[in-house]
Amino acid sequence: MTELLTPKSLISKIALCLAVLVVVMFVCSLVGTQKISLSAVFAGPGDTPGQNTDYDIFVRVRIPRIILAALVGAALAASGVVLQAILRNPLAEPYILGISSGAALGVMTAAIAGISWSFVGGSPMAAMAFLFAIGTVWLVWFTGHLAGGSTVTSLLLAGVVINAFFSAVIMLMTSLIDSEQLRSTIMWLMGSIGEKDFSTLLASAIFIIAGIAVLFTISQKLNVLAFGAGEARSLGVNPRKITLVAFALASFITAVAVGLSGLVGFVGLVVPHSVRLVFGPDHRQLLPTSALLGAAFVVICDTIARTIIAPAQLPVGVITAIIGGPVFLILLSRYSKKVGNLR
Amino acid sequence: MNHRLHRVLVIVFTIALVLLAIEYAFASEIQRIVSLSPNLTEIVFALGLGDRVVGVSNNCDWPVEAKQKPKMGTFWQPNTEAIIAAKPDLVVCESFLQHKEVAETLKRVGLPVVSLHAESIEELYNAITQIGSAAGCSDKAEPLAAKIKSELNQIRIKASSAKKVKVLWVMETEKLRVAGIKTFINEIIELAGGQNVIAPTGDQYPSVGTETILTSGAEVIIQSAMGTEDITKQQEAADKFWNRFANLPAVKDKKVYVIEADTVLRLGPRLPDGAMAVAKLLHPELFSQPKDQNQGDQTHK
Amino acid sequence: MSICIQVENLGFSYGPQAQILKNLSFEIPAGTFLSIAGPNGAGKTTLLNLLSGLLKPASGSIEIDSKPITSYSVRQLAKKIAVVRQEFIPVFEFSAAEVVSMARTPYLGALAFETDADREAIAKALEMTDTTRFSDRPLGHLSGGERQRIFIARALAQQTPILLLDEPTSFLDMKHQVGIYDLLKKMQIEKQKTIVSVTHDINLAAQYSDLVLLLSADGGYNFGPTREILTTERIERVFGVRTFSAQIGQTKFFFPLGRFTKNHSS
Repeated sequence: MTELLTPKSLISKIALCLAVLVVVMFVCSLVGTQKISLSAVFAGPGDTPGQNTDYDIFVRVRIPRIILAALVGAALAASGVVLQAILRNPLAEPYILGISSGAALGVMTAAIAGISWSFVGGSPMAAMAFLFAIGTVWLVWFTGHLAGGSTVTSLLLAGVVINAFFSAVIMLMTSLIDSEQLRSTIMWLMGSIGEKDFSTLLASAIFIIAGIAVLFTISQKLNVLAFGAGEARSLGVNPRKITLVAFALASFITAVAVGLSGLVGFVGLVVPHSVRLVFGPDHRQLLPTSALLGAAFVVICDTIARTIIAPAQLPVGVITAIIGGPVFLILLSRYSKKVGNLR
Repeated sequence: MNHRLHRVLVIVFTIALVLLAIEYAFASEIQRIVSLSPNLTEIVFALGLGDRVVGVSNNCDWPVEAKQKPKMGTFWQPNTEAIIAAKPDLVVCESFLQHKEVAETLKRVGLPVVSLHAESIEELYNAITQIGSAAGCSDKAEPLAAKIKSELNQIRIKASSAKKVKVLWVMETEKLRVAGIKTFINEIIELAGGQNVIAPTGDQYPSVGTETILTSGAEVIIQSAMGTEDITKQQEAADKFWNRFANLPAVKDKKVYVIEADTVLRLGPRLPDGAMAVAKLLHPELFSQPKDQNQGDQTHK
Repeated sequence: MSICIQVENLGFSYGPQAQILKNLSFEIPAGTFLSIAGPNGAGKTTLLNLLSGLLKPASGSIEIDSKPITSYSVRQLAKKIAVVRQEFIPVFEFSAAEVVSMARTPYLGALAFETDADREAIAKALEMTDTTRFSDRPLGHLSGGERQRIFIARALAQQTPILLLDEPTSFLDMKHQVGIYDLLKKMQIEKQKTIVSVTHDINLAAQYSDLVLLLSADGGYNFGPTREILTTERIERVFGVRTFSAQIGQTKFFFPLGRFTKNHSS
């Protein structure tokens, strides 16, 4: 049996992707609008603040951004894999079931209410985006359940309806917020990788990595889910339970990512799709490799976003779309022609 | 007096003097200033600190020297790396979300940051004072703020003698957006002897419907110049646009003006010039003799 | 022989006007081969879905090994019953071998990797269904018949005492039709598996099954040994078609007669 996944081959693939991620993070930490030298960085912060700018830039600007970009990329890619599995649709992406409109609504509410407390070092925007995203996802699940017993169709229907409703509410709210706050809010929503403090990064990393790890334990069941609820049941997988668990976890890590960086698009759609084309659809492999390669992808895109028109910066979502699109098309044409997939 | 007590007093006094001197020395040691907002840059330059500025945002364009300073990113997305590399000992920025996040990163590096909320005229004076004290030149900040205050006051006093003119201030015409009550533009309008025809709204710059415009009875329409298009062309376009509201007194009396935005729309040291320009439009009979025409004709008719 | 599947007063409807099954009662002893036959719309697939636990009865009960079917967890039930439904191409391109390997899901440990025992079960299932040579091809690249055999292989790899099949040979050529039924019979005889197969092919049912359940469109049914149930009169009544029957050895065969068949004597 040459085709089935073994622990050894999985570990070697994960190691490969991890190596790629580490190399990407290292190289990108040396790229930026300012030239810095690694040896200067190692000299330490210096006696007075702001003395060793190489160190300050590396430790306070580059490293936090790169870690954040990696976390956001991993969360979105993993979530995309899971949502494509649950919805049995390779066009699904993390925001499809309410997260984007929920986050937008949360952010608008924060702006209107003038909330000023912060959450684990995150801004009030972040906290509200996260809370509302989770709340909206729950609402979609609940509504889908009421409408048609949490089948895929009823979930999608609920998602569409709630997205539409929330969009209308958001438009109503934009007429109530004062304009500078509105612009700040919209720019934040557009998605950007900023510099966070290390405690925020640590907390987020714990949430996201734990979420992905738990998703990994049900990834074989996600394979089975691809055959439909009835078949899954006959094979010993409770489709309702697995869908709920997977959906909840994927939404959670996506909501954390949205709270950190706003809505970065394209990653959750293109990375799982592309990795599946190269590595195949077995989720035990697809999930971890997508997470690692998604992280590397966003790190690269963010680095480009902040250097290409320096000293101005582009929103990272622009670069993920510009790069992601053609790369995906190339992969599609190269790999789908082959009979059987490259393993 | 007791000899012992005398000596103690002298020592304490000397220490206090030394501390004061150190503080003064540190405060006036601000040599490298970065400003991330166009109006704050204008304030910094107006305080005579122009040659100590080592970085500005892409959008800082006044005075001319500011344009030539090293760029630190845009107003909405400052470039943290460039700011750190410029080794500033004072960073001046605003307090909205994006600037707040940059400020927090800079504070983690250990750089001094002053975040200001400058959305009203009162806050402008406050900003001037705060920047002055942070940069160690409070002696210049006080007079600057006072000068602006007094010039604005003079305009206000003169304009108050005339009947208030009904004003509609337009920010955008494609999707009609106007300046509402809670803006500093409104403060200028009132100061210059006008009255905003727009009733209080939640949004500071609300979009309004045609009906509201038609029933507003605006006697003067002022439109802030948008973008970089030639102001004559903008005036022509404005005239054409407003012709459909032929019943409005402003259109009938041909009092539709396109005004240069930079002085009026920036809460900075040039505010009095902007206020004067507005006052001339509202009460030409009172303000016809130009007092401080330093930027040339700022309006086009 | 112990009773493997016991159905009592089973009733099911898809809606207020659509009562498909009414007061259905029968017992399937362990290690027997049951064919379920009947015209379209009689409820054969519905019954299969009820037996596999996918649908819940509106009335009545189903017991597997003397325990109510509802008392089994999803995983436990999957170790008892394997189901072969209509073949299809899933949205993601799994290879044939991967599809068969999913049968081992109820047996996988926490880390969800296949053990040697699992691999052996998979390899044997592929061999038995003559599908080893295209096992690394994606399902979408196989013919309908090849796919059907893969789904059957999957059910075999699940190593369950009960196999439920919904028209397993509908796309197969003659060689494989007989081949699959031979295989199922072998499983019954050698491994004492209980086979329940829904089929349109009366003659396969006649050749291979011990018991027949004939469902009528009006909700009635006939259950019993093959020879007793399959008669020309009954077939004409239930299916609405005349047949010519011929006996070959132990088995009676039935050939449906239309109005324009050659040799038709009207």
